[in-house]
Amino acid sequence: MKNGLTFFLGLFLALALAFTGIVLGSHAQLGNLAPYYDENEGKAFPERMPGIAARGQLVYQDLGCAACHTQQVRRPDFGSDKARGWGDRQSVARDYVSQAAVQLGDNRVGPDLATFGSRPLAVDADRLAKYLYEGHGGMPGYPFLFADRKIVGERAANALNVPAKPGREIVPTPRAVALVAYLQSLNNAYEYPEARPVEPEAEKKEGGK
Amino acid sequence: MTTASTAAPTAEVTEIDATARCPLLLLLGFALLWLLVSGALALVNLVQLTTPTFAAACPVMTYGRAQAMQESAFIYGWAANAGLAVTLWILGRLSGAPLRSLNWTTAGAVFWNLALLLGLVGIATGDATVHGWIQLPRYVLPLLLVAYGAMAVPGVLAWTGRRQDTTFASQWYGVAALFLFPWLFSIAQMMLVFFPTRGVLQPLIAGWFVQGAWTLWLAPLMLAAAYYLLPKISGKAIRHYEFAALSFWTLLFVGAWTGGRHFVGGPIPAWVATVAGVSCALLLFHYIVVALNLGGAFRPAGSTVLWFVGAGLGAYLLGGVLDAVTSIRGVAMITQFTHFSTAQTQLAVSGAFSLTLFGAIYFLVPRLTGRAWPSLSLIRGHFFAALLGTAALVLALAVAGLIQGREQNNATVEFSAIAVHVKPWLLVATAGQAVLLIGNLLLAVHLLRAVCPFRQAATAPATFRQPPTMEASVS
Repeated sequence: MKNGLTFFLGLFLALALAFTGIVLGSHAQLGNLAPYYDENEGKAFPERMPGIAARGQLVYQDLGCAACHTQQVRRPDFGSDKARGWGDRQSVARDYVSQAAVQLGDNRVGPDLATFGSRPLAVDADRLAKYLYEGHGGMPGYPFLFADRKIVGERAANALNVPAKPGREIVPTPRAVALVAYLQSLNNAYEYPEARPVEPEAEKKEGGK
Repeated sequence: MTTASTAAPTAEVTEIDATARCPLLLLLGFALLWLLVSGALALVNLVQLTTPTFAAACPVMTYGRAQAMQESAFIYGWAANAGLAVTLWILGRLSGAPLRSLNWTTAGAVFWNLALLLGLVGIATGDATVHGWIQLPRYVLPLLLVAYGAMAVPGVLAWTGRRQDTTFASQWYGVAALFLFPWLFSIAQMMLVFFPTRGVLQPLIAGWFVQGAWTLWLAPLMLAAAYYLLPKISGKAIRHYEFAALSFWTLLFVGAWTGGRHFVGGPIPAWVATVAGVSCALLLFHYIVVALNLGGAFRPAGSTVLWFVGAGLGAYLLGGVLDAVTSIRGVAMITQFTHFSTAQTQLAVSGAFSLTLFGAIYFLVPRLTGRAWPSLSLIRGHFFAALLGTAALVLALAVAGLIQGREQNNATVEFSAIAVHVKPWLLVATAGQAVLLIGNLLLAVHLLRAVCPFRQAATAPATFRQPPTMEASVS
């Protein structure tokens, strides 16, 4: 390695090859992936997130929720994701095409949230807000997303049903409202052509019998 | 025991060392400061895993934010500063001339560390980006890139102005790290933060960046130190040196392809994970050659520097094997999304990188200051704390991860039950992190004493064995 120029070109080539292979290669495959238009339903999937949910995604990002929650369902024969009720199909690349910042996550300290909006807990916004305030299971509460304020006139409609000091109420701040809306929006049950569940071989055989 | 000597032999402290003193000590000072900050934040993180309510009401210390801060402080604070200090010094020494334009390093270091401080404040107040190892807010990223360029200038000049044609493995690794990181970092900034790509390409590119930052930046920095220290201290030529070049190019050409192993079974094209698995296996060649070349570090023969290097090397080799094993689909099904991945990361950065760099610091500082380390027991204390702490942290996280992974794949086990089952192991990991932090505190105190000797006339034992080897040692 006496020749500095050759060495430098080698370094460049090493990085350029990996970049071309992995980054440009996958970009060529997925860069033009578009939402899937379903003629029967007359709309395209995944649907765009409502504005408030998109704001909630920013709250999810700035609190670092992805440190404990993944958003990627594995296929039925790979782990227990289906058995846990996280969805009948694996997540596919198309699920994420309209998200501004994709947060797949890499540790499941808590459950996966890719299809959280379809779970019973997510249906009731008030109950979900209460979970965020008090914490639930292993998750701590995030009281700073809520305001403890004096009741003026009537109690606010969205005040949490939690113990508060006399004459005061706990109400979600706009950030909490947005986060709840985001969590409720996390639901993509639509079955893309490429996302049909892959059933394990064994189950198929049993089904055939 | 060693003979006492408070003045370094002039033969050992050359002009090369003397001119580099202030800038490199500045880098090392910053590095240790960030190491302690990151260690404290990591401790907070681990406590939060077993006691979720800990500091939860404090918005700047949610688990996610503390995690992002500790990771950024570790990578861009400790690893970058320490790695650059050691590599610049080695490149200077091997070029045979004093480092030039060191003012660039000083200026760059000031801006780099200010940017990092600003970045951590940004994360604490909610400006983090979402991708691993590049979680610092967007407004500090360009500044970091420019500051890195400034800091690396003397290294580049030392490489281009080297006085001999023959180059050494240390130089290859050092120069590769200096050059490749800015490219990698700028690509990641562009494609993830400023002009983000669509959909799952984001996590995919982030995974490529993380792996690149390890195999093309931190691992080369660590190997540059190891390849320099072992022959220097043992006085023997590196065995099977003829394979070193091939091993170097294998790491460079294959290493960056291994990042996709984290996406096994994920919403990413399947070939990415498959290519990563194959690359992990190919990369084993690199690890075998490194083991052949540097195996001498496992027989430190009383050299404290080689204790550290040997331990770091052991972690590096083990990490390589674990990467290959966990890239297999059946294994990944259990270990992915668990603390096992965290254990692997810690094995690499806290084990391989940090331990080797500690060794390099113990070798480097006496030559920069011209004085021996004040206390041998502090060095020993640091070594055992670092080794014990890292081992406890990595092992406990790995066991916790295996339990977590096995139980996650059993849908009848609730997540709250999993948290209970892994808790004892996470407590062990917490204790390990605490021991590690105490050990690193010893190094920081020791460095302070070495640089500013308040009681120079005190009876502190000098720790030079003999003039040519100015490392701390027992004989």
